[in-house]
Amino acid sequence: MTPTIEFKGISKFFGNIIALKDISFKVFKGEITALLGDNGAGKSTLIKLLSGVHIPDEGEIFLYGSGVKFNSPRDAVNSGIGTVYQDLALQPLMSVSRNFFLGREITRGISLDLKVMNQITKEEMAKLGIDVADPNQPIGTMSGGQRQTLAIARAIYFGAKVLILDEPTSALGQKQQLEVLRTIRKVKELGEIAIIFITHNDMHAKILGDRFTFLNRGRVLASDERANLDMENLRALMAGGAELDKLETEFGETYR
Amino acid sequence: MNTSDERIREIGFFRNIFSRPELGSIFGLLIIVVTFMVLTSMSGTFGAMWLNPIGIQAWVELAAFVGILAIGASLLMIAGEFDLSMGANIALAGHSFAILMLFGVPIQFAILLTFIELAFLGFIIGTIVVRTGLPSFIVTLAFWFASRGFAVFLSQTFFNQSRLSVKPLIKPPPGGGEDPTIVDNIFAFDRAFGIPFDAEVYYFFVLVCIIAYVTTRTPYGNWIYASGGDPVAARAVGVPVARVKISLFMISACLACLLGVLTVMTSGASDPKAGDFRELHAIAAAVIGGCALTGGYGSVVGAVLGALIFAIASRGINFVPFIDNNLFRVMLGMLILGSALLNQFLRDRIVKG
Repeated sequence: MTPTIEFKGISKFFGNIIALKDISFKVFKGEITALLGDNGAGKSTLIKLLSGVHIPDEGEIFLYGSGVKFNSPRDAVNSGIGTVYQDLALQPLMSVSRNFFLGREITRGISLDLKVMNQITKEEMAKLGIDVADPNQPIGTMSGGQRQTLAIARAIYFGAKVLILDEPTSALGQKQQLEVLRTIRKVKELGEIAIIFITHNDMHAKILGDRFTFLNRGRVLASDERANLDMENLRALMAGGAELDKLETEFGETYR
Repeated sequence: MNTSDERIREIGFFRNIFSRPELGSIFGLLIIVVTFMVLTSMSGTFGAMWLNPIGIQAWVELAAFVGILAIGASLLMIAGEFDLSMGANIALAGHSFAILMLFGVPIQFAILLTFIELAFLGFIIGTIVVRTGLPSFIVTLAFWFASRGFAVFLSQTFFNQSRLSVKPLIKPPPGGGEDPTIVDNIFAFDRAFGIPFDAEVYYFFVLVCIIAYVTTRTPYGNWIYASGGDPVAARAVGVPVARVKISLFMISACLACLLGVLTVMTSGASDPKAGDFRELHAIAAAVIGGCALTGGYGSVVGAVLGALIFAIASRGINFVPFIDNNLFRVMLGMLILGSALLNQFLRDRIVKG
């Protein structure tokens, strides 16, 4: 199977800083690729390369097997790259369906077709397991997990074939984290979308990941399918290797 | 949202009522109307203020004048911006219009050119705000000085006076009995209906209907709210935030232009003091009407109700001789403060759910 998106030998430099060096990995449709790494490992730079904010200095990106170059975020979006950032790009005081269609409103004549917008919002949210009783209510009334789902549903509805989720669980409470994980699994079950799941949380990666790519100091530390990885050792890989063991022994057995 | 349906409808019902930005101003209007009805009854002027055409005219015309500006003020506040130059732009428009006519430009072209001038001014103001990132408060404060200054400078230079009379150029001489021109019909139909309202009142009514529709029912309206609510998020989903804001500064300047032209048309002269402090009254109306200074929240209808509150309080005080006129300002100040507090409370309810 051709990967939906593939990075081959990607590097990015900022002046004399090597942000990313020789990054290669593949993402397939209907699969979740967990992108793991500690702060400063280069995760955000990688997202920005994928979403067209930065342009790589070396290497190539392949979309469905053919080389692509994203010169702007608009380029990436048009090619089917949907990025859901941590801040979600939502308007808290605006209604659910207006948020869903913001910037791409459905109109009849000059007016918004609120009826159709509401209906589509309801349907698309239902696909991801959230029942929106009233799409007219302000988004401020939704939980963090539901907002995350809205941002994801919006990206998918507007044609995302690759969904990049930038730490979608990091700012949420326990229950809401699980809601988001459930949403991500629903997206996977749709079967058409390749998901890049960036996270700090080894538990969440373990629950959802089909493939794992570990970044450390701008390089790929390890990259493999679930079956070939020692799942018990995820946390050590995430933290970039052995240093973590020493810290953990300090806190004793309870930490594990 | 995952709970049972009955429960959601219940919450939705109350939330729908309490999440309207106009709510505060509806209460405010009721309170003001009742208060002044009681006060005028006590001083025996109830009929003069509420039943007599001239009494009604007094506060309705003021509401329309302030209301037209408040439309612009509220649109900009919803988009997270601010226009202090509106009042001064009224004088600039009036003077430009008068000067053009005194130079012999036919009246309809004079009106057209004045609108083009003010739209361009709005474009400049908006572009400066968007491109430099300076707060619009500062940028429009500069034009608060500059617009009126420029208007008076022009009239002093060309006509050696600051007040420009154009009466003979607008209305046929007394006893002339000519049919009113088309321009008269459009811009000065002050005798059109039973109560001789100034043209402002009719413009006001039509504009409110159009703008209320545009803000709540069109993509452009959506973008206005989004530009003020979270401009970064709005840009991320493709809303042309800069263009929206520039267009709103142009609308604001054109509303000032409309008032400037109408004032000259109905009074026959352009006064350098025209529109003085009206920008603050308009902003007060917008705040009373539920607009948040931080942007993203508010409504044009609320601002219009705010203008009505302002006008009733402002004119009503003249019908109540036993209350000192200066107390009006105290009352207005308290009204603004109270409305802002109430509106903040209502807004928090929405975000916190």
